[in-house]
Amino acid sequence: MSTLPLAGVRVCDLTWIIAGPTATRVLADFGAEVIRVEHGQAVDAIRLGRPIVGDAPTLNNSGFFNYFNRNKKSMLLNTRHPMGGDVLRKLIAASDVVVENFSSRVMESWDLDYPQLREIRPDIIYCSVSGFGHSGRDRDFTTWGPTAQALSGLTIMSGLPGKPPAGWGYSYMDHTAGYSAAIAIMAALHHRNRTGEGQHIDMSQVEAGIVLTGPAVLDATVNGRPWRRAGMPPGNRAWEPRVAPHNTYACAGDDRWVAIAVMNDAEWQAMVRAMDDPEWALDPRFATNAGRLANQDELDERIETWTTEFTDYEVMELLQAAGVRAGVCQKASDRFERDPQLAARDWWHRLPHAELGESNYDGVVPKLSASPGVLRTASPLLGVHTHDVLRDVLGMNDDEIAEHEALGVLM
Amino acid sequence: MSGPLAGLRVVELCDEPGQYAGKLLADLGADVVKVEPPGGSSARQVGPFVKGIPGPNRSLNFWYYNTNKRSAVLDLESADARAAFLALARGADILIEDREPGWMAERGLDRAGIGNPGLIFCSITPFGQDGPWSRYRSSDMVGLALGGPMMMNGYDHADAPGAPPIRGHGDQGYHTTCHYAVHGILAALLHRDATGEGQAIDCSMHEALSCTVEVGMPYWLYVQRDVIRQTGRHAAAHATERWLYRAKDGHDIIIFGVGRDNASWKQLKEWFQSEGFGAHFDEPRFDSPAARQPGRGSPEAGEIMRELERFIAAHDADYVYRGGQERGQAWGTVRAPEETVQDPHFHDRGFFVEVTGEDVDRPALMPGAPYIFSATPWELRRPAPRLGEHTDEVLAELAGRGGP
Repeated sequence: MSTLPLAGVRVCDLTWIIAGPTATRVLADFGAEVIRVEHGQAVDAIRLGRPIVGDAPTLNNSGFFNYFNRNKKSMLLNTRHPMGGDVLRKLIAASDVVVENFSSRVMESWDLDYPQLREIRPDIIYCSVSGFGHSGRDRDFTTWGPTAQALSGLTIMSGLPGKPPAGWGYSYMDHTAGYSAAIAIMAALHHRNRTGEGQHIDMSQVEAGIVLTGPAVLDATVNGRPWRRAGMPPGNRAWEPRVAPHNTYACAGDDRWVAIAVMNDAEWQAMVRAMDDPEWALDPRFATNAGRLANQDELDERIETWTTEFTDYEVMELLQAAGVRAGVCQKASDRFERDPQLAARDWWHRLPHAELGESNYDGVVPKLSASPGVLRTASPLLGVHTHDVLRDVLGMNDDEIAEHEALGVLM
Repeated sequence: MSGPLAGLRVVELCDEPGQYAGKLLADLGADVVKVEPPGGSSARQVGPFVKGIPGPNRSLNFWYYNTNKRSAVLDLESADARAAFLALARGADILIEDREPGWMAERGLDRAGIGNPGLIFCSITPFGQDGPWSRYRSSDMVGLALGGPMMMNGYDHADAPGAPPIRGHGDQGYHTTCHYAVHGILAALLHRDATGEGQAIDCSMHEALSCTVEVGMPYWLYVQRDVIRQTGRHAAAHATERWLYRAKDGHDIIIFGVGRDNASWKQLKEWFQSEGFGAHFDEPRFDSPAARQPGRGSPEAGEIMRELERFIAAHDADYVYRGGQERGQAWGTVRAPEETVQDPHFHDRGFFVEVTGEDVDRPALMPGAPYIFSATPWELRRPAPRLGEHTDEVLAELAGRGGP
């Protein structure tokens, strides 16, 4: 039995919605003891998020919540009750990391900003993820994933020319703010291992998004060339490097597409052979990348005439056999039901859950040879670990727990 | 030297797919030596370029993804250079490579060939080290297709009939893969802090993207439905209301909820009415938060959105954005990269940093850190290296250590 790489790291998890829980999902997958502190009067809205199993939300039957909160514990704590505040401070004193993604003044209003956290635990690693960060003139503004994507420049970088932005059909910046927070927390843990020193990590979700647009920002600041110009965004054609063909092509069936990226002349020649040397493809206008770029409309039309004769998987297999970069635009059902690569890599796991039953979970990325991340438990029922945490982490006896229960602290 | 990873030695043998992982470590203080072939990494051929002119040191893409690294040219097809590479890897804490599976082993450059038991050896590939697709070739777009993100992005039929799934630009597939690679590297580093033991890491772009599509996967896992693509908003099991509205200046704004609570609704209502909109919002039927929320067929919600659409069309996007935020609404202008760099809030935080390079007259701004560390600050110590800028320096350091 290998050890988990974050074994022994305790996280006081004050996060909710998606960005924060994504950060703690990473930490939990790698073995941190992540304790979700939940308040019954201000419950994580994702506990009500669809898809749910059953007719109505119960706080414990959301597949959406389950997806982001596996491997974690849940305790109920009324943080507005004075004794709840005391319990929270004791939990912080017993934790290595505190993470939250509230708006930027909530911790201050709880008398739990970084200087105060440090008084409770001098080497605490405190990570805050807010829309705009804890400083700057707009620190009180707030975001959800889609807002952060819009403000960071990511939304406008997705779409067809002459159309409104397609943007992102999911909260890419909730995932990514969480991923960045997990990186920052683990780097801070390493620093603490070496020096004994904790710190505050102040993250802005919008900044974490702007970071993902670096070359486009530099094109503007160095070359004065704006993104907002005719022909942009270029749909699925290549922005940089400028190569063709590079697009999605319809295939046989309803809403079935294959993405094909030809990066140079050698790959183009391989694609021509894979298409069985059609006469149009031997036209000298298509022989060079410059020629293919100049004649992209016709090129894409010709290719799509070819791809529609096959299924998306057939096109991918034909082209990949010739060394051409091609991939099916897979839906979730395709990845779960058909994808041989995920299956061969044992990507899907099964875990039991009291209300969701036994269901499927994706694995842990990446794979570590000596201390891999492991799926241990499904998401916790609301408050299911309250007594365990009070007893085992905070050292309370049964009478104290009963008193807290009776006084409405644990709800 | 600052940064939480100061003192760590990293060898990076990466092009476009893996170079962001090296940047993340280098920007956090690690000493990253980027090993490049004599012609340079293919990433140096990716535009945009300074003044639009290609050249090994003119790629702005390369400038961005290779900050804080040193460049050493080693031709790994030659025995001498392989010996130098092995010596470098023997003295390193972390190695990151994005070659196809088997490439390192064929040249004796895998973990066994290196023989440094404490080394964290991270391989980044499109599909992982094994499996039926492990030899398939990929790209950022092909990865986003197979992993699922593309099928989440697109258009309502009314906006673009028959439109394909859409790939967001900016190498977002590589970003996600590198975020996961660094999770693995740092987890392995914490394991090594405790045990002294190194290990191999197998990071698959396909897996990283497969678990980065939010509600897409749970909808299949729990209710066996694939979500449908919609213009500028979340893919969903059923069609939902628009979020994107066009303002007077031609810019779009995302409206993510309107007056969910009574306090912010009152502020919004007063704002609209002071500008001559929404006189009828005083009618009691608008008082209930439930009646105001879209998605449940409420006629009041529909009326609010129609009036808001008129309000937005009569104002510039940033006016609506700031006015909405000041009244508790998480709305946001759809900005282009050239506009984000103008926002003074991010300058208050020192977010944008200055960079210089070949053929530029004055420093230019680019995004800095995604996180502000209080004790170990992120720092731009050096711009991306010129090709081979540090070859002699790195070889001299090796000689000083007694190798190769």
